Amino acid sequence: MKNLLEIQDAHVYIGSFYILQGISLVVPKGEVTLLLGRNGAGKTTTMKTILGIYPPKEGKIIFREEEITNLPTHKIVNKGIGYVPDTRRIFGTLTVEQNLIVSRRKATSHSEMQERLELIFDLFPDIRGFLKQKAGTLSGGQQQMLAVARALVNNNDLLLIDEPTEGLSPLLAKNLIASLSRLKEFATILLVEQNFRAVSKLGDNYYIIDSGKIAHEGNNMSELIEDKVLLAKYLGVSI
Amino acid sequence: MQRVTFTIKDYLDDNPRVKQILKYCVSIALIIGAGLLVKVAIDVYTWNGFIIGVSKSLVNGLALSMLLFLMVSGFFLIFGLCGVINFAHGAFFMLGGFMGFVIYLATESVFLDPTLPFFLIFGSNHLALSITAFIVSALGATAVMALIGGGIEFFTIRRLYGNPIAQILLTVGFMFIITQVAELIWGPPQISYFIINNSQISYFFISGTLDLGGGMIFVWYRIFLIFLGLSVAGLMFVGFRRTRIGLQIQAGIEDSEMVEALGTNIRRLFTIVFMLGSGLAGFSGAVLVPWIGANSGHGLTYLIYAFVIVVIGGAHYGRFEGTFFSALIVGLSMQFASYFAPGIKDVIVFIIMAAILILRPGGLTGHGQ
Repeated sequence: MKNLLEIQDAHVYIGSFYILQGISLVVPKGEVTLLLGRNGAGKTTTMKTILGIYPPKEGKIIFREEEITNLPTHKIVNKGIGYVPDTRRIFGTLTVEQNLIVSRRKATSHSEMQERLELIFDLFPDIRGFLKQKAGTLSGGQQQMLAVARALVNNNDLLLIDEPTEGLSPLLAKNLIASLSRLKEFATILLVEQNFRAVSKLGDNYYIIDSGKIAHEGNNMSELIEDKVLLAKYLGVSI
Repeated sequence: MQRVTFTIKDYLDDNPRVKQILKYCVSIALIIGAGLLVKVAIDVYTWNGFIIGVSKSLVNGLALSMLLFLMVSGFFLIFGLCGVINFAHGAFFMLGGFMGFVIYLATESVFLDPTLPFFLIFGSNHLALSITAFIVSALGATAVMALIGGGIEFFTIRRLYGNPIAQILLTVGFMFIITQVAELIWGPPQISYFIINNSQISYFFISGTLDLGGGMIFVWYRIFLIFLGLSVAGLMFVGFRRTRIGLQIQAGIEDSEMVEALGTNIRRLFTIVFMLGSGLAGFSGAVLVPWIGANSGHGLTYLIYAFVIVVIGGAHYGRFEGTFFSALIVGLSMQFASYFAPGIKDVIVFIIMAAILILRPGGLTGHGQ
């Protein structure tokens, strides 16, 4: 199995809006795939389509060589997908520890969760300090760590990470990206990002999405960084 | 009108000193007002009568509050997690009362029937028999209502998530159906059923009063209800803090889509919450029967109390603590009013609701607009 996840020609409507107009992409196992694009291009919708929150009207989604297109969200997630949503969406009225407990799936045993917690504390040592704190009182950077940690509680093969650096200061963003690069050892990652510069070193291959279609794809990150015309056209990066 | 309030509010925000002084004035005026009320009450009822009234209202109010809290937590949970305003909740409470009543008498007659082997268990030990029948009736009513509530969610409401108008029509419909069925079987709201009048042995395990002398007479059962309600509420609080499913429900009230994206079957959680909420309504209805009786008119009355309590407590993003305190406010004010000002006992809760909404538009713990 080379490709962990595959989207084949997905067409997605939200209400009467035609959002994804035939997206096809593959996420090779063990690599980091970047999904780049401007605001409103359809990046988050692609994530939610994989999760079954917006099931495609046409097209197929294949995870570990098994079709998951029309399964309910919880069944898809239970196959081993961790989700870090774009606006963090941590549970503010629960403590950090309770946020992690809620995230444990039935298939993950308590002893397994302890091991995963060690990994989380290793990646984000700060979390250990505010375990008993209400998640709503954390700072933006701490909340983002928690949102990532929540996806690590279970042993997921695939992590869907949506705009992790959004709203973080450049230093915090840099630290977070460093932690994410260590995640490569444990899981395959599909990373959505607007802030292309921050994650360019992380990616193995990339897709650029524009108005609900794949506009460009490739696996040579250094070439992409040099391609000023492409960056200006699709990502609005001017140098 | 709104313009005027905003101008005053802006002025106060700009002048914190004036705001501070105004706050003190209001507090002092409230204290003086309360003092005057107490003075008038003492004059009218004499000192002795006043103390008796206060203590009685306190006991009755606390007992009613605890059970109202349990009923309303069911309503609040269903609204919080599933976003469904369950208009049938009062009817669940009323039906729970009848279930408790029927199950109690059935259990009693099974144990009293000399042709059945169960007769030997208690013989003529009526105390043990009555306690057993009471426990069976409370648990039985909870279970029956949980099944009915869960069934209604599973077969009908499940299809209507995201369509609030249809949900309201549907639950209002269930309210009418349940009320009409209850009226067909047990008659109109003029008739109340009490266990002790219908019991074969005319016996209920907690009866009589606690007489502290000087007119301080308290009904034992109401004192018992305070402790029963507190312990069930305590169990519920611990359950929500400590169990995984409790935490999932709390997290789901905040963001149910995210809970689902973490791998929880949210549909199943919705059904569980409906069962839990309806079960709580059934439980409170059943254990209140020895006090208020089973009555086919309770559905509407208690639905309105549920609304009032949820609004006072804070409906949107409100918390359990808010519901608890607002149940206390409603229960106590109703009992105090029925002793000291019987004329306004039916409207007092609405006056309080209006006052609280003027001061805090979001309720006690919710956020205002």
